[in-house]
Amino acid sequence: MEARDILERIKRIIGETDLVWIEDLPGDPHLIIPKEKLRRLAIYLKGDQHLAFDTLMCLSGVHNMGEQDEMEVVYHLYSVRHQHQFVLKIKLDRPAFFPHFFLRVDSISEIWPAAAWMEREAYDMFGIHFVGHSDFRRLLLPTDWEGHPLQKDYQEAGAYRGVSTTREEIEGIVVEGIT
Amino acid sequence: MPLTTETMILNMGPHHPSTHGVLRFILRTDGEVIHMCRPDIGYLHRGLEKIAEQVPYAHFMPYTDRLDYLAAMNCNLGYAITVERAADIEVPLRAEYIRVLVAELNRIISHLISVGTFAMDMGAVTPFTHTLREREWVNDLFEELCGSRLTYNYIRFGGVAFDLPDGFLDRLSRFLDYFEPRLKQYNRFISKNKIFKERLIGVAVISTQQALDYALVGPNLRASGIDWDLRRDEPYSVYGEMEFDVPVGGSEFGELGDCYTRYWVRILEMEQSVRIIRQCIAKMPEGSYWNRSKKKLKVPAGEIYVRTEAPRGELGFFLVSQGGLRPHRLRIRTGSFSAMSIVEEVGSGLMVADLVALIASLDVVAPEVDR
Repeated sequence: MEARDILERIKRIIGETDLVWIEDLPGDPHLIIPKEKLRRLAIYLKGDQHLAFDTLMCLSGVHNMGEQDEMEVVYHLYSVRHQHQFVLKIKLDRPAFFPHFFLRVDSISEIWPAAAWMEREAYDMFGIHFVGHSDFRRLLLPTDWEGHPLQKDYQEAGAYRGVSTTREEIEGIVVEGIT
Repeated sequence: MPLTTETMILNMGPHHPSTHGVLRFILRTDGEVIHMCRPDIGYLHRGLEKIAEQVPYAHFMPYTDRLDYLAAMNCNLGYAITVERAADIEVPLRAEYIRVLVAELNRIISHLISVGTFAMDMGAVTPFTHTLREREWVNDLFEELCGSRLTYNYIRFGGVAFDLPDGFLDRLSRFLDYFEPRLKQYNRFISKNKIFKERLIGVAVISTQQALDYALVGPNLRASGIDWDLRRDEPYSVYGEMEFDVPVGGSEFGELGDCYTRYWVRILEMEQSVRIIRQCIAKMPEGSYWNRSKKKLKVPAGEIYVRTEAPRGELGFFLVSQGGLRPHRLRIRTGSFSAMSIVEEVGSGLMVADLVALIASLDVVAPEVDR
């Protein structure tokens, strides 16, 4: 099924309000939905006979710090049965105060178990909380690591458990920045 | 008095001979039976996704070598195709054929390591030395081609870095002539070996539904009975012009989705790779090998997800560009990552020795899990 046909079906289920369909950019067309509708839509996308999105190919976090400080969660879905794909996106505001209170979205790990680790990775790297996840903790970094490295404004601590994270400058060697 | 048992926590790894890199498992066992198996990853996390945001597009190519060091060509290829699609770069036909050729050659040596270490984990040390011997030959060929034996950094945006040296295709044909009978020898040696078969058939079965749920990819998915290969179903490069079969696991050898089927699918895939390489040699066109651009590469703003079939399955790059010299975000989705995530579910209930078989049969490579 083409992405446009899938979009029409989605509109019939969760309504047309607050949906943003982006297809004029180069690359894959995608649909931005409000986060409250995610779980309901996910159940429908997996369960419906004609859509049958049986695998979650990829779940990614993206951090934008342009005019607005916001995080995105991007879901790449694929149906092996019908061989079609669809891209869903959720936007989360990241205010300066109490950002962790706003960076929250429903977990879909019960619907697509593959999401369980990908959500943990997104939390690890971006600090996005996935509500309803059964085993929610960091995945790659140690539990006592501070900060979330893929945030654009991440500042690495000078040391971790007494081990320096920077390289000593050696006399005579100039490290040039990459432009 | 009745015999009572109690569970204990067992730490496996991070340095364990059978964990294929630095992986750690926390096991709760009752005797030999695993009640809970919790993988602990991240020991090889190098922050590739962060590095990608800080270097220009072309500078990230050597890092993709390190993404999966057993299949550097395939990782190069996946990244190159992603950027080419996003920036609309044309690739000459000869370069496309060279790319498919090296990617399939790399698939063969990656599967050789997988098969060899699998046998070694099961206690048969000799087959590994045999597979390494064959791999050595291919390493020599790659060295001749691009100067490196492991991390090739060979594929460029718009082509490949070097043309094929004189007589390369003849030497490659000689290798294939040598290699095909070797595959049959492996079958006599391990695949059809009664001890090996009885050890693995019916062990750690992954059902079709589980494979889909956990987004398994590549040989692991096909071993669970799903006929799905990106090279055939979403052809990229010149795979559309190649004739090959996609081996899918069935009940003919063992149970669907067990360790033996995952092993057997890889053996069959090597045969198919040989077929593809022979077609590349026969059809290799003349012409330019690199459509080289002198300008600094800028990728127009947009978001694209491109996936290719690496030896460990789907290798996906999600590239978000805001029109600059560097990616705004590059997400890398690898086959080993999803293969590791299923271990927790499939691993509980197994014997400790069978967990070793499961990890080996999934062909997990630690740097690809952690990135």
